[in-house]
Amino acid sequence: MSAFLSYLISGLAIGCTFALVASGFVAIHRVTRVVNFAQGTFPVVAGLTVSSMLGRGLPHGVAELIGIVLAGVIGLVVGVIAIGKRGTPTLASLVITLGLGILAYAFEIIVWGDQPVSYSMLRGAVDIGGARVAWQYFLVIGATLVTFAALGLFFTRTYLGKALSACASNPYAARLAGINPIRMGLLAFALGGLLGGLAGVLITPLQPVAFDSDVLLATSGFAAAIFGGLNSPYAALVGGLLLGVLEAFVAGYINASYQTEVAMVLIIVVMIYQASRRSTVSEEVS
Amino acid sequence: MLEVTDLVVRYGNATALDGVSLQVGEGEMVALVGPNGAGKSTLVNTLSGILRPVSGSIEVDGRLAQVPEGRQLFPDLSVADNLRLGAWRSRRRAGARDPRRIYEILPDLERMAKQPAGTLSGGQQQMVAVGRALMADPDILAVDELSLGLAPLVVADLVRHLRELNASRGTAVLLIEQNARLAFDLCERAYVLESGTITMSGSSAELSRSDAVARAYLGGLTDSEAS
Amino acid sequence: MTAEVGTVRTVRRRPDAQRAVGLGLGALVAVLTLLAPLVLDRSQLTVYILTGTAAMVTIGVSLLMGYAGQVSLGQAAYYAVGGYTAGLLAVHGTPPLLGLLAAPLVAGGLAGLVGIPILRLRGHYLAFATLAFQLILLAIVGQVDFLGGDIGLQGIPQLSLLGIQLMTAQAYAWVTWVGVAVVLLITRNIIASRPGRGLRALATSETAAESSGVPVTRYKIVVFALSAAFAGLAGGIYAFFIGYLAPGSFPVLLSFQFIVMAVVGGLGTLWGPVVGAVVITLIVQTLNDLGTRPGMPSYASGVFSYAVYAILLVVVLLFLPRGLLPAMADLVRRAFGRGRRAPAAAGTAVTVDDSTTRQPPDSP
Ligand SMILES: Nc1ncnc2c1ncn2[C@@H]1O[C@H](COP(=O)(O)OP(=O)(O)OP(=O)(O)O)[C@@H](O)[C@H]1O
Ligand SMILES: [Mg+2]
Repeated sequence: MSAFLSYLISGLAIGCTFALVASGFVAIHRVTRVVNFAQGTFPVVAGLTVSSMLGRGLPHGVAELIGIVLAGVIGLVVGVIAIGKRGTPTLASLVITLGLGILAYAFEIIVWGDQPVSYSMLRGAVDIGGARVAWQYFLVIGATLVTFAALGLFFTRTYLGKALSACASNPYAARLAGINPIRMGLLAFALGGLLGGLAGVLITPLQPVAFDSDVLLATSGFAAAIFGGLNSPYAALVGGLLLGVLEAFVAGYINASYQTEVAMVLIIVVMIYQASRRSTVSEEVS
Repeated sequence: MLEVTDLVVRYGNATALDGVSLQVGEGEMVALVGPNGAGKSTLVNTLSGILRPVSGSIEVDGRLAQVPEGRQLFPDLSVADNLRLGAWRSRRRAGARDPRRIYEILPDLERMAKQPAGTLSGGQQQMVAVGRALMADPDILAVDELSLGLAPLVVADLVRHLRELNASRGTAVLLIEQNARLAFDLCERAYVLESGTITMSGSSAELSRSDAVARAYLGGLTDSEAS
Repeated sequence: MTAEVGTVRTVRRRPDAQRAVGLGLGALVAVLTLLAPLVLDRSQLTVYILTGTAAMVTIGVSLLMGYAGQVSLGQAAYYAVGGYTAGLLAVHGTPPLLGLLAAPLVAGGLAGLVGIPILRLRGHYLAFATLAFQLILLAIVGQVDFLGGDIGLQGIPQLSLLGIQLMTAQAYAWVTWVGVAVVLLITRNIIASRPGRGLRALATSETAAESSGVPVTRYKIVVFALSAAFAGLAGGIYAFFIGYLAPGSFPVLLSFQFIVMAVVGGLGTLWGPVVGAVVITLIVQTLNDLGTRPGMPSYASGVFSYAVYAILLVVVLLFLPRGLLPAMADLVRRAFGRGRRAPAAAGTAVTVDDSTTRQPPDSP
């Protein structure tokens, strides 16, 4: 029982970070139709930055903020290159983000080297039903829930958020109303960067991060996002939590070296099941 | 109010508009009719700045807003939000984003304010599309296919609203219509666009008496024969 | 969104004179390719061979992406399958030639099986599934003892053809580039055939292709299997030449590298992938030499190659969206003052923004 509880909580926490990465995918895809393959770069840069900022003696809070903002700025830069040029086809933008993710490797290795880093945010643990659960897990879960609530408010209650949703919902009509889709797309990229950055800041204390951790982070985030067809942040939250818990149980009860793979097989099965129920026509139109 | 001169618009190598000129005066209602593929939507999209002309000029004295073909609402946003986004260009002006201004003109919309626009009937959606365009406080309203897919009674209601708007605020209207009879009834002047060029223009009364127009757009009968 | 990068849509009949020039050029390239191993030194030969194997995989990627409009982000998986097939058979005493023949068959067969469910997915779903397949495959290989696990499969014997053992790198170079020629020939015949035209229709719109009688599902699976078989053949040669295989030899980055080569060379062209493979390998190799010079930091060569892939990819996509080969061909054609530009690919010469063509379906 105590093992079950601790797997569950750690799975939920890791799942939360997947969900944050996933919501970045969703924010960008909804507005621009581009799948941002550089999405894994944002958590990596944020985690590495916070680690070196803390190493230089910056206090907690400031270091984390710098990491997240830097990730947001990088998100914006990725956006400018990927969609800033008018008339760049969607698939070209997608492959460009892939290239930028690789370019980031070069910078990361020069600045931080190729060794994994970690740091601690909240020390200590609490006893729940006989299981020792680190406070960090609760911090991750709490921060994620707050972020998703704020995202919900932003998209449904603010004028800017509605304009972003409008671009996602009907880009042609948005342009008619004078909403500049490229500017909105850039905003979405920056938002994707911030969300990815937050994920990185939260996960680095739990799982050390190196320059090439982006593949696994992005793959897991993408798997979570695809649960809602890359268009719903809440489905991405559910997807992320499911994936995290699933991985934790596989690791805990079966074999830790298969955790990611088992989860991915399941995701693919779900995707194929969904695809076989959708018609070709409806998918090509959307 | 609106002065279009020698407008040329291409899609790649295909020329959609080939030297189109037309005018709409202050507070005037003007119809543009023509067969499918003539370039009518291309013209309004160019007026709205969505397409860039290869040559020619467009002078608009004031603001132009478009009611696009097929409504083009934001289906998952509420009616009120659809209206609010119509004011994006003037969003910083006080009260510009308040949809209540529109409820005074189109009172039916107030009831549906909270409903997702995608769940409305075709006629209701067209009403929202008109309302959203009006949120920009246009001096000239370009309506692309007002009656498309709508029942006659619904169309009559929309037409009444356009007339009122024109009378009370002096909003000029450029009406694009497949239903030429309706267009000629509502507007004093009309243009006929075919394969990217204006082939005829004049008062609606004159045009509806012309044999060519009658054959192509009024089901073979001239107005005098029909009545 | 499946086929917007530089898909060639127009097939032009070339005039006879141009045809002759093309044939002459092709013969010249073939002769030079065969003579090159005689003048290259050992380390240059290694690069030469790896360029050839990369070209083989990339031709498959280009066929799949450029002609059939399907994106695979996990092509290195089939490169690995081919390598392990050949390596494992040879280690257990099967004649190496049989192992080399089995490599493309097993890789292609596996892709055919995997393709049946996976190719129901489209666009980025398919991209994700192929990437995930590679990650899963690598994880499994790392756990299986008879494949050598994470440590790798060692002691793969040399390739022998007709009883003669290939001991020299020169011999491997010839085998590799003959392999490239075979792959090119197969691809050329497919593109020119009736099914090839069906493929192009499929890349544009699956629905439209289906309704005009193209057996969409079957074609997709066949092309997927074929591209995997090309990768498998390359992997087999790689296994014999290097003599050692480990999961770490086939990272996800390798799959991306094949895509970079295909896109840079020119998707939907026959020779583009070869050009892409040669250009990228040469540049990366030059920088690698630079990076390993004394005085350079230890990470320099890695950093250089990441940066080069990335910058080349981005610059080509933004400024030469059809790829290097079509751009160069244009340049040559214009220099000789002959003919017009090649037909523009979708979305490049249109004065209209693409968002206007992306109107959503009417709401109910
Ligand atoms: N996005 C586009 N790309 C290429 N060609 C286009 C595009 N939109 C329209 N066309 C072409 O331009 C011409 C004019 O089209 P347009 O939509 O303006 O006609 P229309 O008069 O509005 O027709 P309808 O009555 O059917 O709405 C047509 O031949 C059409 O095929
Ligand atoms: Mg039209």
